[in-house]
Amino acid sequence: MKDYRLLDLLRRSRTPHENHLIDGLVDGRVSRREFLRYGSVLGLSLPLLGQIGAAAGLGLMPGSARAQAAGGALRVAVDTPTGAIDPVKTPDVGGLVMLQQTGEFLCMDGQDLVLRPMLAESWKPNDKGDVWTFKLRKGVKFHNGKEMSADDVAASLNRLADPANGSNALSVFKGVLSKDAVRKVDDLTVEFHLDAPNANFPYLVSSDNYNAIILPADYAGDFEKNFVGTGPFKLEKYTPKVGASFVRNDDYWGDKALLDRVEFTFFADIQPQILALQGNQVDLINQLPVLAGAGLLNDPNVEIISIHSASHYQIHMRTDMDPFKDPRVRRAIALSLDRDKLVKGLLRGRAQPGNDSPFAPVYPSTDTSVEQRKQNIAEAKQLLEAAGIKSGTKVPLATQRFQEVPQYAQLVQNAAKEIGIEIELNVMDSGAYYGDAVFGKSTWLDSVMGITDYGHRGVPNVYLSAPLRSDGSWNAAHFKNKEYDTLAAGYVAALDLEAQKAAAGKIQKLLLEETPIIFGYFYDHLSAVRKGVAGVEPTAMSQTFLARASKK
Amino acid sequence: MQLENPAIVAFILRRIALSLVTLVLLSLMVFFGGQVLPGNVGRAILGPFADEASVQALNQSLGLDRPYIVQYWDWISNFVQGDMGMSYAFRSPVAPFVLDALANSCKLALVAFLIVVPLGILGGIVAALNVNRPIDRIISLGGLSVTVLPEFVTGIVLILIFSIWLDWLPVTATWPEGAGLGTQLYHLILPSLPLFLVLFGYIARMARAGMVEALDSDYTRTAVLKGLSWPTVIRRHVLRNALLPTITVIATQTGYLIGGLVVVETLFRYQGIGSLIYTAARGKDFPMLEAGILTIGVVFALATLAADLAYTLLNPRIRLGAET
Repeated sequence: MKDYRLLDLLRRSRTPHENHLIDGLVDGRVSRREFLRYGSVLGLSLPLLGQIGAAAGLGLMPGSARAQAAGGALRVAVDTPTGAIDPVKTPDVGGLVMLQQTGEFLCMDGQDLVLRPMLAESWKPNDKGDVWTFKLRKGVKFHNGKEMSADDVAASLNRLADPANGSNALSVFKGVLSKDAVRKVDDLTVEFHLDAPNANFPYLVSSDNYNAIILPADYAGDFEKNFVGTGPFKLEKYTPKVGASFVRNDDYWGDKALLDRVEFTFFADIQPQILALQGNQVDLINQLPVLAGAGLLNDPNVEIISIHSASHYQIHMRTDMDPFKDPRVRRAIALSLDRDKLVKGLLRGRAQPGNDSPFAPVYPSTDTSVEQRKQNIAEAKQLLEAAGIKSGTKVPLATQRFQEVPQYAQLVQNAAKEIGIEIELNVMDSGAYYGDAVFGKSTWLDSVMGITDYGHRGVPNVYLSAPLRSDGSWNAAHFKNKEYDTLAAGYVAALDLEAQKAAAGKIQKLLLEETPIIFGYFYDHLSAVRKGVAGVEPTAMSQTFLARASKK
Repeated sequence: MQLENPAIVAFILRRIALSLVTLVLLSLMVFFGGQVLPGNVGRAILGPFADEASVQALNQSLGLDRPYIVQYWDWISNFVQGDMGMSYAFRSPVAPFVLDALANSCKLALVAFLIVVPLGILGGIVAALNVNRPIDRIISLGGLSVTVLPEFVTGIVLILIFSIWLDWLPVTATWPEGAGLGTQLYHLILPSLPLFLVLFGYIARMARAGMVEALDSDYTRTAVLKGLSWPTVIRRHVLRNALLPTITVIATQTGYLIGGLVVVETLFRYQGIGSLIYTAARGKDFPMLEAGILTIGVVFALATLAADLAYTLLNPRIRLGAET
């Protein structure tokens, strides 16, 4: 039952973009899940989204489960951070998990990929989508006792956007947010003046951008000393290469943490983490690669938390080099892969098939009406013949020794063999594969064919630009297509979910035709907890939020 | 046994001088070899997906845009004055990392030594005294078989048995902070076992070979014929000669036991110097890498020196100074 009177009431004082989204929900063009996700990006609060959903007859927001027991300590196994913990520079999983234990973001991108307010209470774009205004939460205190204000937020994000700071987040903000483009309006309001309209900008200042925790304005680069942040836990002790412990912050602005403490133990590899979980020395493995962790998937003492994500491996093919100059050859390789088998066999079902574009099934803007590419050996052989490729043609494939990538490369090799292409594998250390990570000095960017790991992003914007645009800095396929560039820019700017979907559909079709990159599957993020542990909230970015965690 | 003291001093001095030359060459090889490898420091710290502008800014702030020779000179001139420098990745002094790791490695090596050396020598003696009998076969063949098993296999099996099924020993070797000697020892037993398995066969075979040869020698026969008791023959004549090659083997294994345990340290989660060097090399953290490798170099030099001195003490026929 739709309650139109209530809907009318709720529609008042909403912007045209917001009302268009509400219309979409009422007419059934937009699903409930899409509505929640995209409404959250536009800055509609979750209670309001819930009310609108209820008025449209679609039920309420899923309630978050409340853990019962309080107190105690939780022991977490995590990869050893590769360097100093510094919000500006940290690039690795171990480091980003440390950042978010005490640090908080303007908004939080949770397991369902719906944005929730964190240090910002609400946010709104202007009509064009190139200025976003964020209202900050009042009464938030840093662990050093100082109150958080717009100055701190502006300084934190301007610091990340400044090319002089060696910032790891610069690649996220490039072409979106320049240095000093974050301006204080009043003590609790900041404006982001973007380089170009960007409909999904809030994701870039959410937990998705793991460097973007809010620090005091006078941060001096010494985060490791005190882990100063605003979060539900504060630092007890940090020892590089060994571990860290945090205790409950009783001055926290929100619901206080349930646990008294959390203890992180650093591990250099996944195997010892699995043994430590089985030997009851840790309660939680932050990130479990499916292949190494296969033994835990059916362990009755262990619970696996599985989240669909956009993490994937890109198989690039040099569009400016033989034999891949001809798009038919690239399509033929893509058609040789049996994606369902990959998902079932290699990934133990913990993945979703890809359709050779960055539009993963998790994104609400993905056009699901575009046909899924399936294995078709006959068609692949025809394409190769039409392109004049002889059976037995040799192609080198370079890749990194990382998780299941070597096994994936072998399966690609076997599939290509079926259509008469001989792939010669060159599997190397990740450091050697990436090299200097600039054109001319990197196996990754210079190889004829390669497989590269791409971590999760809450929106596909980065995947659409750096690896695919003509001027993209990670364009290993050397794909240069003006039509694509225009479509991608159009997608990023489209403020309306339906306009985004329409643009996505066109991009998906173009990429299926051109296939500069094979997106074989998008793998789930897995965490493992011992039975009796509840309320752990991992994210697809490999973060682990523990404020609601408890242990029997 | 009469030692010519000036000779032994000269010998030690010459060895130290040679070691210093070796260490300088080693530091040069590590530094310039590392520059040839793909990638650069800023890239290694910030990861492949960081913007190139950020990488260059970071390299500049670390002083890595200067010529290699200047960087090397800067580093070594501080190093010889006792300043190991700052880690690029951890942006804090290298010395505490290296010294902690060295202390940990020495503890693990010591426990492993205390288990494997007496048992290995004993095994060799028992085998030699029972040449070609079943007990000899078991010790020789068994020791050889477990030596070829990789540590990550034996390590996992041992953890499964002793930590997960029996729950006798902890899975990880890192003890809680401030733990006493007993607790530390308790944590080090399990990681010592794969090392025992690797080294036992090796040491036992060397000891056995030396014993067999010594038992077969004329001087042993003479000693027996002149009426010495069997235990005295073994102690005074056989062992003293038989153990010389074994000592060399043990000394050369010291370097492995302290610096080469990346796999065992990773599996048992132990912060030793082997994994410190390994991660520093992967992360292109040169100050850390240099300090780690030179430390191991010093350990090697000291171990071989100690072996040579032990040799001379056990065997008066070796005269130092090459005047004999």
